[in-house]
Amino acid sequence: MRIELNARNRAFHFEADPCERILYAGLAAGINLPYECGSGTCGTCKARLVKGEIDDLWPEAAGRKYLKQAGEFLMCQCVARNDCSVEVAGFVNDMDPGACTPVFRTGTIIDTSMLTHDVLGLSVALTEPIDFDAGQFFTMQVPGVPGYRGYSMVNFERATRRFDFVVKKKPGGGASEWLFKGGAKGARVELFGPLGSATFYPDLSKNILCIAGGSGIAGMMSILARARQERYFDQFNGHVFFGVRAYRDGFYLAELSQLAREFPDRLRVTIALSDEAVPAQAREEYPALGFEHGFVHEVAARTMEGKYHNVRAYLAGPPPAVDASIRMLLLQAKLPADHIRYDKFS
Amino acid sequence: MDKRFVCPRAEIPANGMIQCETGDGLKLLVANAGDDYFAYQAMCPHQEVPLCEGLYDGAVLTCHQHLWQWDIRTGAPLGLAEQALESFPVEVEGDSLYVVAQSALNAAELFVGISDATLAAITALAQKEERAAGSVCYDLGDPADDFYVLESGRVEFLLGRDGRSSPAGFMLRKGEVFGWAALLDNQPRRIARATCLEASLLLRINGKRTLELLEHDSASGYIVMRRLSSLIARYVASSGSK
Repeated sequence: MRIELNARNRAFHFEADPCERILYAGLAAGINLPYECGSGTCGTCKARLVKGEIDDLWPEAAGRKYLKQAGEFLMCQCVARNDCSVEVAGFVNDMDPGACTPVFRTGTIIDTSMLTHDVLGLSVALTEPIDFDAGQFFTMQVPGVPGYRGYSMVNFERATRRFDFVVKKKPGGGASEWLFKGGAKGARVELFGPLGSATFYPDLSKNILCIAGGSGIAGMMSILARARQERYFDQFNGHVFFGVRAYRDGFYLAELSQLAREFPDRLRVTIALSDEAVPAQAREEYPALGFEHGFVHEVAARTMEGKYHNVRAYLAGPPPAVDASIRMLLLQAKLPADHIRYDKFS
Repeated sequence: MDKRFVCPRAEIPANGMIQCETGDGLKLLVANAGDDYFAYQAMCPHQEVPLCEGLYDGAVLTCHQHLWQWDIRTGAPLGLAEQALESFPVEVEGDSLYVVAQSALNAAELFVGISDATLAAITALAQKEERAAGSVCYDLGDPADDFYVLESGRVEFLLGRDGRSSPAGFMLRKGEVFGWAALLDNQPRRIARATCLEASLLLRINGKRTLELLEHDSASGYIVMRRLSSLIARYVASSGSK
């Protein structure tokens, strides 16, 4: 199917297969279409159908609440039945020449492990190698559960054949429940990406501040992996704040502790426990990590005071935690908005 | 001039903001900054998120969705923001706030911040054109003498001819400027067709005479040229990383 997409500034033309989501087809063609979650919740990819017919794969998608005018639809949930002409209300451009253009991939789940009582680590082997940038995510569709969900990569290598993901247990969440019930190993999954613009490149030349809640630590691990490979913390400071409810909810603590020991002068990792005072056991087991009681944005605010010089902040996690961190960084820390990066896709 | 009641002054927290609706259904963001009040479009021009859900510190307004920011006193874009906010002049009468209507020229981002005298002189050049849906403002190859400011309606652009044409964007906001070739050197002809997709109200302004006015007020001319170049860059350049 031929899609003609008219944006405020110009038009684009691309092909979409009969069962290919219009958003994914456009992104795969190298067009920087508006999106945030790519999975039906945020409403960012809304467009208006001017000509042609579409099928909506998920009419109950939460993001449909942002649709107001007749003919509007979510590009991430709709496929073209014939040649279509659609309109996007914003400015759209080609992707940057250096960007990793999103593609479809298939993979096999090769490993699952419980990281905590309600967080699962998941490894996927890819049939073909792929490049992504540290901090990005893929959307994944698991067998028997229609629709894609976004997961940040934990690892970082160029031309990787493996993704490590973190999955939080969500009662009623189809993909999450399927992964947690066991037996996922060996399953074939469909992937699309890389997506997301909260990316880290070593030529950034700024101190980095990571504030993550829960499974939001995944993308931070990828950023830290790349920074470690490039010995970034020989020159720049890193402040990592990882918020969980209680000590038993923490994971990747051994990996974070190892990183903190490798760069003792410039990398500080603090675990914020929102629901309990810090148990003595925490400091005994991980003396290289800091532990504080409080919400992650509050702990970050206390620790970072006076240290915002030349800082780029990365935020990830449950939307309320990200919003609280944005508020803190803009209003309290007076960090300029273009020094803050996040993708809201959970 | 048409003047609409917005809300009692006491409803706006000091250095705070709320969303209001006028009797005829116009939704506005109303903010206080010290002794002054400002009213803007209620929704973010980026992706229609209510601006009242954003952050405001008495000077800078931030949309929480993608951190677009504006100067509360002018509505001019700051930081990541790619567009100005449409502003509505506020009048305070006793304990009540009113907004008054303004022309598209006052709303045009291209002219935000220029001197009142020059804006008045450009306003005097403007001819109002009421156009029906389907009417063509200009076609490929036509002389590019005038530029247009959209008052209301919707205008679409088309490149190419003889069935090998492609859409090339559209304008729908009050104060958007098109046909800017009239303000450039060595661009004597139109490179696209501009069609009104619905009944539209336009201001048509002679480019050469506008440039003469700007030459006599070079401070304003500098502002307009800076804004014009970023406007053109927005249409041709890659967005860069967020």
